[in-house]
Amino acid sequence: MSHNTASKHAILAALGQSSINQLNQKPDLSSLKSTSILPSELINRFEKGLTSVTGELIYPDNGNSIDLLKDNVAKLIHQGMQVISLVDGIKGNQLMTTHPHELKHIDYAIMPARFAVAENGAIWVDSEQLNGLNAKTHRVLPFICENLVLVLNKDNIVATMHDAPAKMRLHVGDFGTFIAGPSKTADIEQALVVGAHGAFSLKVYLI
Amino acid sequence: MYQSKSHADNATIFCRDENRVDWHSKALWNLREKRDRAAASVPEWEQLRQLGSEIKLHTLSHLGDYLCQFEQKCIENGIQVHWATDASEHNQIALDILSTHSVKKLVKSKSMLTEECHLNPFLEKHGIEVIDTDLGERIIQLNHQPPSHIVVPAIHMKKEEVGELFHQKLNTPKGESDPTRLTRAARKHLRDQFLSADAAMTGVNMAIADLGAVVVCTNEGNADMGVNLPKLQIHSMGIDKIVPDVDSAMVLLRMLARNAIGQPITTYSSFYRGSKVNGEMHIIIVDNGRTDIMQDKILAESLKCIRCGGCLNTCPVYRRSGGFSYNYTIPGPIGIAVGAQHDDSNTIPWACTLCGSCSYVCPTKVPLDKIIAHHRRLKAQQGKLPFGKKYYMPAVGKLMSSPTLLNCAMASARLALNVIPHRLIKPLSGAWGQYRELPVSPTSSFDTWYKQHRASNKGQNNVS
Repeated sequence: MSHNTASKHAILAALGQSSINQLNQKPDLSSLKSTSILPSELINRFEKGLTSVTGELIYPDNGNSIDLLKDNVAKLIHQGMQVISLVDGIKGNQLMTTHPHELKHIDYAIMPARFAVAENGAIWVDSEQLNGLNAKTHRVLPFICENLVLVLNKDNIVATMHDAPAKMRLHVGDFGTFIAGPSKTADIEQALVVGAHGAFSLKVYLI
Repeated sequence: MYQSKSHADNATIFCRDENRVDWHSKALWNLREKRDRAAASVPEWEQLRQLGSEIKLHTLSHLGDYLCQFEQKCIENGIQVHWATDASEHNQIALDILSTHSVKKLVKSKSMLTEECHLNPFLEKHGIEVIDTDLGERIIQLNHQPPSHIVVPAIHMKKEEVGELFHQKLNTPKGESDPTRLTRAARKHLRDQFLSADAAMTGVNMAIADLGAVVVCTNEGNADMGVNLPKLQIHSMGIDKIVPDVDSAMVLLRMLARNAIGQPITTYSSFYRGSKVNGEMHIIIVDNGRTDIMQDKILAESLKCIRCGGCLNTCPVYRRSGGFSYNYTIPGPIGIAVGAQHDDSNTIPWACTLCGSCSYVCPTKVPLDKIIAHHRRLKAQQGKLPFGKKYYMPAVGKLMSSPTLLNCAMASARLALNVIPHRLIKPLSGAWGQYRELPVSPTSSFDTWYKQHRASNKGQNNVS
């Protein structure tokens, strides 16, 4: 460890020789935050953002997304799918496993989301959502499941990323992530393929 | 294939297959066009670039303080922080951590820093199996190649070549070249690797000083799959990855994927502020020449870079010479900016037309063309001009600084172009004339034209 401290001091000492002006002020970023935007406008923008990253918004005209989700989950279970749910009122057929590796069989993971960003369709999920229903969820769940379903309150949409920090929760030692659509790659001749290592699909139920 | 280290030599090899050069150039230009559309969709784009530049400059000018704050916050989060002055120290730290945990198999997600440190061969030498998990990275790893681009590392390979490689290494059917089916095969193969790995290692897109958290961005989800399965996670970062706070990170995050590939944001932007329950999280902070770069005021601005790859996609030289012609791990304009001092061929600062397109697309306004021109000056000052340039450039300098000499030389050139057959003069034009016709000689010099024109216009200007 003393070796390590020596390297730290060497780096800090070398930075003392830096030629960059110490007077470079930190810019004021407050003007980037959005002013009031109508909730319906935010939903429209979010749907556009989510679609652009190949996610799908589900928001029935009658507004009753939870009942629709319940029906759809029942259908999935009937089809023999392995479904795990962290959303209050939605019952899957799988429980949280002891080891994260055992989640590899999960076909559908249904999780609550804290908030979403309209401009790019990104949805923030953190440890509090992961540990909903006291499940002590492994962090890998939203990545290892074959399909991801997020449940989002329609009042929790912000316009741009600059509005996100006010809504993010990232406690000491915690984890959180923006998820924008299903996993994808274009590493073979720029051809977009949905479903790289993570989920093949992302559905967002707006409640 | 690439024996020489000289950019021009390697570019010549790349250019032998004209169809492939066109295909390569178009693939990258396609990314540039997507970038333009994404940038145009954000009305405050230019403001974001300016703020991105100011945030990075501010952070670099207080880097020691921010690094110390970052370390302190990491410790509060239960993260173990290590400092490495150079590549070999970085590699040794990584090996020590992995050895303590008896790691046999390591899954890695994309990190240009570990490429720069040549970590993979080092760990393999010590008996650790290293699996690159980004699809493009896995392709080139199986093909025993370094990345040819910092964001799309296998951009130089055609799908048929990937198909043949997967046929040999992953047992896909012979002749299969469909990107979807090849990606599915890679997913299956890499899922087995994720599930059997003992540790995961990633690069860092941003390190947030006031939280002690690192941000890791991927489209494929490979970083998060890797990190969240085994107990041990290691993140390597250059000292230049620090940002002061989340608000600053958001400015850069809005531009990163848009400028790289035209996507509004990467699929996953994960904030790790500590390990999983019962897990262990390490961060290795690496200098490896960055503090040297910071001693030169012009070069220092290259550390504002967020590695989006936008400058590669727009560069007319990179698009037509390929990623393997630069004699450095990072190719393209940013590769020249941060790598020219390591370039023992002393040629890469000339792999540039100084057109400035890179500087115009850069999300943090790194003055790449200015830095590259500065590298030429530094090479000249160090007496390292490549063979040829060393001898004729001083003569050219003398010639061009004397109007009499220049006018005489130009008059002779015009005469020669008019009276001597071009095929006799062409060999004298060297590399320039290889793909060009000699110019048609004008009847008089610009100097003569200018004197007449200015003289005849003087009166008019006075009237108006």
